[in-house]
Amino acid sequence: MENAYQHLGLSKEELFSMVDHNDLETEKITAPRYSYWSSVFRVFFRKKVNIVILALLGVVILFAYIYPAVTDYDPFVNVMNAEAKHLTPAAAIAKYGFSLKYILGTGASGESTFEAIWNGSRISMSLAFLCAAINMTIGVIVGAVWGFSKKVDAVMMEVYNIIGNVPFILFVAVMVMLFTPSFMTLVFAMTVTGWLGIAYSLRIQVIIIRDREYNLASRCLGTSTIKIAMKNILPFMTSFIVTLLATEIPSYIGSEVFLSYIGLGMSERSLGRMIFEAQSAMVTPGWEFEFWSPVAISAIITVVLYVVGQNLGDASDPRTHM
Amino acid sequence: MGKYLLKRILHSILSVIAVVALVMVLVYSLLNRDLLFKTDGTFVKTAKNQRIEYMYAKWEEYGYLDFVPYTDYLSSLLQSGEIDEETRAAAVAIGRTADKDPELVGEYVEKFTSYYQSQGYEIHRLDAITASKYGSKLAAGGEQKLFATKDIPLIQRLVKYFTGLIEIDNIHKATGDVGERGLTFTLHDPVYNGRFSPAIIGNGTYHKYLLYVDGKFPFIHQNMAILRMGTSYTVNNGVDVFDTMSRSQGAYVLSETTFPTSFVEQSADDLHSATYREGSRTSSPINEARFTDDYTNVVTVRSAPSKLGFSFIIGIIATILAYCIGVPMGVVMARRKDKLLDKIGTVYIIFIIAVPSLAYIFLFKAFGGKLGLPTLFDMESSSRLMYVLPIVSLALPSIAGTMKWLRRYMIDQMNSDYVKFARSGGLTENEIFTKHILKNAAIPIVHGIPGSIIFAMTGAIITERVYVVPGTGNLLTEAINKYDNGVIVGLTLFYAVLSVTSIILGDVLMAAVDPRISYTSKAR
Repeated sequence: MENAYQHLGLSKEELFSMVDHNDLETEKITAPRYSYWSSVFRVFFRKKVNIVILALLGVVILFAYIYPAVTDYDPFVNVMNAEAKHLTPAAAIAKYGFSLKYILGTGASGESTFEAIWNGSRISMSLAFLCAAINMTIGVIVGAVWGFSKKVDAVMMEVYNIIGNVPFILFVAVMVMLFTPSFMTLVFAMTVTGWLGIAYSLRIQVIIIRDREYNLASRCLGTSTIKIAMKNILPFMTSFIVTLLATEIPSYIGSEVFLSYIGLGMSERSLGRMIFEAQSAMVTPGWEFEFWSPVAISAIITVVLYVVGQNLGDASDPRTHM
Repeated sequence: MGKYLLKRILHSILSVIAVVALVMVLVYSLLNRDLLFKTDGTFVKTAKNQRIEYMYAKWEEYGYLDFVPYTDYLSSLLQSGEIDEETRAAAVAIGRTADKDPELVGEYVEKFTSYYQSQGYEIHRLDAITASKYGSKLAAGGEQKLFATKDIPLIQRLVKYFTGLIEIDNIHKATGDVGERGLTFTLHDPVYNGRFSPAIIGNGTYHKYLLYVDGKFPFIHQNMAILRMGTSYTVNNGVDVFDTMSRSQGAYVLSETTFPTSFVEQSADDLHSATYREGSRTSSPINEARFTDDYTNVVTVRSAPSKLGFSFIIGIIATILAYCIGVPMGVVMARRKDKLLDKIGTVYIIFIIAVPSLAYIFLFKAFGGKLGLPTLFDMESSSRLMYVLPIVSLALPSIAGTMKWLRRYMIDQMNSDYVKFARSGGLTENEIFTKHILKNAAIPIVHGIPGSIIFAMTGAIITERVYVVPGTGNLLTEAINKYDNGVIVGLTLFYAVLSVTSIILGDVLMAAVDPRISYTSKAR
């Protein structure tokens, strides 16, 4: 049977043959499956610069979270030794021999600046991540409700007008004076009103697409408000929220530095506190590294976080997935 | 439009009152009052009952509560003529404990207690503390005390603050014997030696000169209505916040001044600012030689601008620069989207947004110092160069902000139908960008212009700290660090008023620029 056509002088390709009809196969869509998040990452990694910056972010996080843990950072290990203080990198390397630890010299109490900046980065980054997590969660939920309900809108606008006009540093100062100036106090001070701005910007976005035709159609078909919010509106917000996150996280590090500088910071040796303490070192010859190292590392961290966040925000916009 | 504006303004006034109320709750109720004494030298020297009384007296000065010692109560009775001096002297000597009070004292203590308790005061009777358990010698600071205290409730505080905000001078302000009270209008101001210059002079008022003319802008000055935003206690003792911000600073400007007693001297005193201080002439021979009445408290003329002045000069130039540079840059970035210029601009914007402001201000300071620019502000110096670095530090971030938003708005407009229509009509790209897109994209930018001009006054905290500019930026942090509640509340009011004003002005300006925007529903 197999070779039945061969005597006709025809090749296999030229013959028709019956194909079984398969219901399951006919239901298949031949276009490649669209998965939102895999598309996001595909677009994100299409830009080579993103890989470099993500690697840099990885290095920064690795140093900030693992390096202080494995090196047993103690700021006061050389506090009694006057000769170990304020050393330039060259002097420190000459004194202790070349090691990563003394690559940036030593600080006011004889501690290694290199270790101090990573310890400070850990505190500053933890603060930024924690504040962003709290503020974004509350802000997004409140903002969504705020945008949806006209009654809530009337009340919240008043709250926004009032609290928005109270100077931010006053809130922080009251919190710092009310409690001890610790890490958690600062987190509380930054989040007690911080979510309001996020909620307000989300409110505007929700209002813009709340009354679009597709939502009206969805409502006419009997979709519940919660489902509209979760399935119709929230996906629209993803790119906006990621972009917002990209500006928020660096801004907390900036605020922390600012608050430390005006004397309202926390007692832990964060980057801001290091800059605050090393102010005089900026103009003292030979001590510059103590000041510029925390400044530079805070700039690097914020820029890296910002660029990753912005590009992730761009990639999470479905219109870029073509 | 008028009705809408009126509604907005009333609404804003309510918001401002709520802001002040909130801040009052924050500083008077939430802050730990004991922190005041952390750096107080006198507090350390006091002990026991004396210390408790000292704490209440201080809290009254900082405005937390109302504090009435028993002796003050008796003095007020004496003044109102209810008791005579003899009774007062006898009634003031309270016993070491309540049951040891003499009969007369007991009677007045009872009156004092019932009177203040009925007004919601708390009566504190501190029994004497002896040095040893059985001896009768008093311990240091262990004297018996009697006083009444009452926390000022928020509503009362708020009402008092807002009703006292504008104080109208009248001829019954001055206490004591001032002679015949009244207002006189003169065409020949005595300060100018009888030269023609109209003035209204009061006797019995708080200010001597209620209206006068001089050579400084706005030429006609008044002292009839005075703004009282909050009296300072630690930052600038006894002076109102607004005066702290608006008084000139720096070196005295001496000029030949003829005092009312015809005494002539090289002096910086501004005689037009004379205010009443009871008994100041008899207590001071210097005043005696110069003044003919008790209007002796004068403000001095100084050479440098006020705190507001410095902040405004720096802020306004930075704002003008921000728009003059930011707008063309934004247009160019949108015009050459994804080209080299756009990329350079984006890097700059990212730098400004992401890097903590403290870091780049220090960077500018270091660069500026290398270029030989003065990095520290000096009020006495006449050099204009010292303004350069603060202005640059303030302008560069605002330029980035203007660029970022203008580019965003212009790119959003680029796919609009009217742009396609203009292009199909044969307009050049330059015409489309500058005449059509820019006009539409600038509307949200216009909204921010009044705000940035008004907020030029408030100063920037970091910039002013880093370059030691004597501006308003540092006042709030200074007040917070020194627990100066009057200044904190006054500054909050100042900032809140500026903020709501700038939003309303921005809305008005936006409606003026774009005829499509209307705030009244009827017009649609």
